[in-house]
Amino acid sequence: MMAFEVINGSQAAAIAVQRAGIDLVAAYPITPQTVIVETLADFAAKGELGGEFVSLESEYSALSFCNGASAAGARVFTATASHGLAYMHEMIHWCSGARFPIVMANVNRAIGAPWCLDPDQGDSLSQRDTGWLQIYCSGAQEVFDTILQAFALSEELLLPCMVVFDGFYISHTYEAVDIPEIQDVGKFIGPPSFGAQVIPGEPGNLHGMASAENQQRLVRSRHEAMLRAPALYEEINGRYERLFGRKYGAIDAVMPPGARTAILTAGATAETVRWCLPDLEQTGLIQLRMFRPFPAKQLCAVLETYDIEKVLVVDRNCSIGAGGIFAQELKSALYGLARPPAVHDLILAGGVDLTGALIKNALSKMPLENRSTELWGVE
Amino acid sequence: MNDRMLEFRLHGRGGQGIVVAAAIFAEAVFLGGSYARAFSLFGAERRGAPVTAFIRVSSDRLMPRSRIYQPDYVVVCDPTLTGVDLAAGLKDEGTLLINARKPLEERFSWLDQLNPGVKIYALDATDIAWKHDLAIGSFPMVNTVMLGAMARLSGLADRKYLEESIRKRVSSKIEANLAASGEGYELVKEVDRLAVRS
Repeated sequence: MMAFEVINGSQAAAIAVQRAGIDLVAAYPITPQTVIVETLADFAAKGELGGEFVSLESEYSALSFCNGASAAGARVFTATASHGLAYMHEMIHWCSGARFPIVMANVNRAIGAPWCLDPDQGDSLSQRDTGWLQIYCSGAQEVFDTILQAFALSEELLLPCMVVFDGFYISHTYEAVDIPEIQDVGKFIGPPSFGAQVIPGEPGNLHGMASAENQQRLVRSRHEAMLRAPALYEEINGRYERLFGRKYGAIDAVMPPGARTAILTAGATAETVRWCLPDLEQTGLIQLRMFRPFPAKQLCAVLETYDIEKVLVVDRNCSIGAGGIFAQELKSALYGLARPPAVHDLILAGGVDLTGALIKNALSKMPLENRSTELWGVE
Repeated sequence: MNDRMLEFRLHGRGGQGIVVAAAIFAEAVFLGGSYARAFSLFGAERRGAPVTAFIRVSSDRLMPRSRIYQPDYVVVCDPTLTGVDLAAGLKDEGTLLINARKPLEERFSWLDQLNPGVKIYALDATDIAWKHDLAIGSFPMVNTVMLGAMARLSGLADRKYLEESIRKRVSSKIEANLAASGEGYELVKEVDRLAVRS
C-alpha cells in the first residue's frame, strides 16, 4: 500500500526516518533544515516516532550523542545544514573512524561570511574527506527513498552516510511524494543488526590509541569498504525497486540518441536539466547521485559508451583556488581515458539559480577547440 | 520543455499564510489529477516582511526546480506592498489578481503600464477576512480568500479539493476560512482596463 502526499522535502526526510524504524534522533535545528527536526519532534510528541527524540544544545553535541547511541547498536539519525555541519566537523571524522553507521540529512546552504541562505553545496562538500558516504538528491521523492536506502547501505558497510539535498529548492518545496506504509518499509529494512560496540556489564575502552601502522590499516579498511558502495547500492536498489517500483544508481544517466554533450550535475539542478533536455540539441544528463565514493568507473563507462565529446558540469559550489568541485573530481576520474571529453564548468557558487536560459547560454560558450572553460552564472 | 506548465507567483507579507496558501493550492491541484509544486523564496522570515511564494502546475510530474521569472499568474495578497516589482516578468497574456478595494486606489497606477493583454481581477479580500474574523491581532489573514479567487480564475483547482486541503492545512477557524474562500470564489471580478481608476 502506498499513498501520495503533498509534502516538502524536509517532511519527506522526516517521514522516511520514522518509517525506517529509528531508535534515536538527536538534532539541533538550523535553517533550512528546521522542518526536518520539527516534523520528527512532532512524531515524538504524538508517540509515533518509534524511538527516542533528543534535543541538544548544539550540533556538536547532537552528533556526539548519535555516536554514543550508535556504539550501543542503535539505528540513529541526525540532520543539519551549513554552519551546523561545520560545527560538527570533529565528530564527523570520529563517527566514520569509529564505524558508526549513522545517517544524516544535510540540507545545502551557503556558509558565511556573509550570511547567505541559498543552496551552495560547499557545506557538505567541505566534508568530503571525512569518510562518510555522500548521496545527493534531486527532489522530495528521491530524498524519501534515499534515506531508507542509506540506512541499508550504511549498516552493511559500517560507514556513516550523508543524504544531501538543496535548501529551499527541495527542503521547502511541496510536491506529491509516494509514501509506503510502515509495514511495507519493514520488508525492505528490518531492525538494525550491525551489533553494539558498547555492551552493558562489559566495561571496555573504545577507539584508544593506535600506532600509525594500525591507523593505516583502519583507514585502508574504511577505504575498501567504501569502494564496495556502488555495487552494493545497486543491489539495494534492486530490492527497493521490487518492493516500491523505484530505483536509483550511483549515477543516473539520460542519453538521447546521438548525444555528444553531457551535462553533469548533482542535486536539484539535475531535475532542471532533465526537464530541459527535449529542448537541447544532442545533449544528455548525467545525474551524479553518489559523490563519496566517487563513481569514477560508472562515469567513464557512460562517457565512453556514448562517445561524449564535451561535458558541462554544473557546480553549485566552488573550491576557491581550484574551481567547481564536481568538475575537479570528474577531471581526475578521466585520467587514463584514451579520448577524454572536454570539461567545462558552470560555477553557480553561492547557490545561484539554474534556469533553462542559463543552461543554453553555458552550452553556447563551449567551442570544441576549448578543452576546459570556467563559466559563472552571474557576470 | 512542457508548454502546458502554468506558473503562479504570490506576493504577500510574513504572517499572512502565503506559503501555506501555495501549498493548499498545489495539493488541491494534485487531488484533481494534475501535478503541482509550491515553494517560497527564502529570506529571514518575519511578520510583515514581503514574502514571495510560487506554484507550478503541470500534467507532467517532471518540472524544473528553479524560481519562476515569467509567471502566468501574479497574485497580490497585500495591497500595501511597496518596493516590490509586483508585475515583474508577468506574461503578456497573463493574469493579475489583486486584493484591493474598488475603485482601485492611486497606489495601483502601475497597472496602466501593463501589457494590454494582461487580464486584471480584483476583490476586497481584506474586507472579507475581517468579516469572517480571520485576523491574527490586527493582521487580516487573506490567504484562504485569495485561494478561492485563484481557483475560480485559473480553473485548475476544484472547489471540493480546495476545501479538502484547507481542512487539512488550516489549523483554526476552519469553517470561517471555508466561507471566506467561497466568497473569494464568488466575488472576484475582472477590472475594466479602460476604467481602471474611475
